[in-house]
Amino acid sequence: MKPWVFYGLSNRLTERFRKKDDKIKGLSPAFRNSLHIFPIDVGNDNGLNFEMEALQSSQYNIHRFGIFFTDSPRHADILLILGRCTEKMVSPLKETINQLPSPYGIVVVEGGQPFGIKPKELALSNVLAYYERHLSADEVLSVLLNIMEVK
Amino acid sequence: MRLLGVFEENEREFFLLQDEDRFFKSDNQSYKDEFFNYNLIKNRDVLIGSEPVEGEGVFNFRYGPVTAGVKEAGVFNIYTYGERILSVNIDPSYKKRDIERLMIKKSIDEGLKFAEFVCGNFAVSHALAFCRALEGCAKVDLPENVIRLRVVALELERLYNHVDVFLKLARGASQNVLTSHLSFIFEELLRINIDFGSNRFLKGVVVPDGVQVNKSANFEDLSKRLKILRDKFEELYEHALKSYNFIDRIHNTALLSKEFALEIGVTGPTLRACGVDEDLRVKEKGYERLSVALEEDGDSLARMEVRAKEFLNSLDVIVDNLNKVKSLDKLKGVDLKDLNGEGIGYNESPSGLLVYYVRLNSGILENVYISTPSVFGFKAFSEAFKGFIFTDFSFAFDSFGIHFADCAR
Repeated sequence: MKPWVFYGLSNRLTERFRKKDDKIKGLSPAFRNSLHIFPIDVGNDNGLNFEMEALQSSQYNIHRFGIFFTDSPRHADILLILGRCTEKMVSPLKETINQLPSPYGIVVVEGGQPFGIKPKELALSNVLAYYERHLSADEVLSVLLNIMEVK
Repeated sequence: MRLLGVFEENEREFFLLQDEDRFFKSDNQSYKDEFFNYNLIKNRDVLIGSEPVEGEGVFNFRYGPVTAGVKEAGVFNIYTYGERILSVNIDPSYKKRDIERLMIKKSIDEGLKFAEFVCGNFAVSHALAFCRALEGCAKVDLPENVIRLRVVALELERLYNHVDVFLKLARGASQNVLTSHLSFIFEELLRINIDFGSNRFLKGVVVPDGVQVNKSANFEDLSKRLKILRDKFEELYEHALKSYNFIDRIHNTALLSKEFALEIGVTGPTLRACGVDEDLRVKEKGYERLSVALEEDGDSLARMEVRAKEFLNSLDVIVDNLNKVKSLDKLKGVDLKDLNGEGIGYNESPSGLLVYYVRLNSGILENVYISTPSVFGFKAFSEAFKGFIFTDFSFAFDSFGIHFADCAR
């Protein structure tokens, strides 16, 4: 077999992506070419965490759109809240939001969970989009691209 | 014999036990002293792991619940003096959703939905164990095509979970090409799940006394796509084993001894990586082509190797079963309503043995106890990680394939 570098070059895995248009509040034109996101699990069933894993797969190749996952909320433009909150995660969630630099946006995906505190009840500010159902990786990517597009 | 759970019923303490492929409950109080893992099971919602350590310069490095390293909400209390890890204990309460309590007084259909929401990536395993418990209570026999389709669903779940573990290890070691190609396989498997069961995590596929699959699914096409992924995975796996800067990171990392693994009740790939030949699937119908993957070393590399071999074996099992399913008629039997009594359901989930105990009265759930593999996996992790350094964290943690969602229910 070829060395890693050549193996990597010999296969094209990225797919063309057509986003679905959706009316979403924008953040700022400053984010047209680059968006850094930080996902936070507040008590989802791990399905949404796996979707985040899938979003980083080669098929989507999110870096070509300028979307990057950050390792800290202090470097993030968008906070992705995944799931409905457990009681103990309410204060870590609020603290994470405090750490976000301005301007920031929040996207909530509840994931269709039948239990837990709805993030809606926590009176969060700057919520750009709110989904009660589960979103798959391509739907999350559509949402992010729509946020970037707003003038 | 293995202790899997401890629960209360009518103010008495009962024990959930396994003796090879026989599962039963007992109220014999002598089991309390007989099993080493009694305290672990009793405290599984509060703290899992080893005792805090004190000493010169030793401090508690609290990792979680919001970190980029571990995606889930959970806390690791790591006792260290700066380099070597002296002790670890894990607090799963941030993810605790109290699902067992929420399931009480619910109907069977609602109970199934809750079971699928315990851990999304083990949705088939949870739903299957729950349904088997109900079927055991109702004493129904399933037709062959239902059994085979359930095997396909369970093994499809195993495929993407095993790839995920391999993927996380590769990412931890900055093997970027390997990570990209494995992530390609991971996403393809989730797409195959949609074609087979109309859901990326196969939710809604296993139902009481039946199975629901996508009727328009072309099984030949699915088999072909899976075989392409098999070849790709095999090639990547062989290549990964030759990559020394990857293997050096996981070889001899987070060693778990066979004796300790058996003592705390670890099952699944973790136990098989310690050299114990135990897999309940062997005796089940639909697994004619299964060969059990074994390794001796008990380190992260062994666990990865077991998972990689299981990936290939499971794929063969799926293709074999897809060929043998002749028709998609009568996939749903009678509606299980007004059930009375109790039942125990189990299966071999991607990370080990998953057991449900349910008691019903007129079709309403009265008591539910879930024994999940991650509880024992977290204990194994905390023991195996002692003496290593923090840089080894992701190789140690990810190799066990354990999840807070599964542990904290």
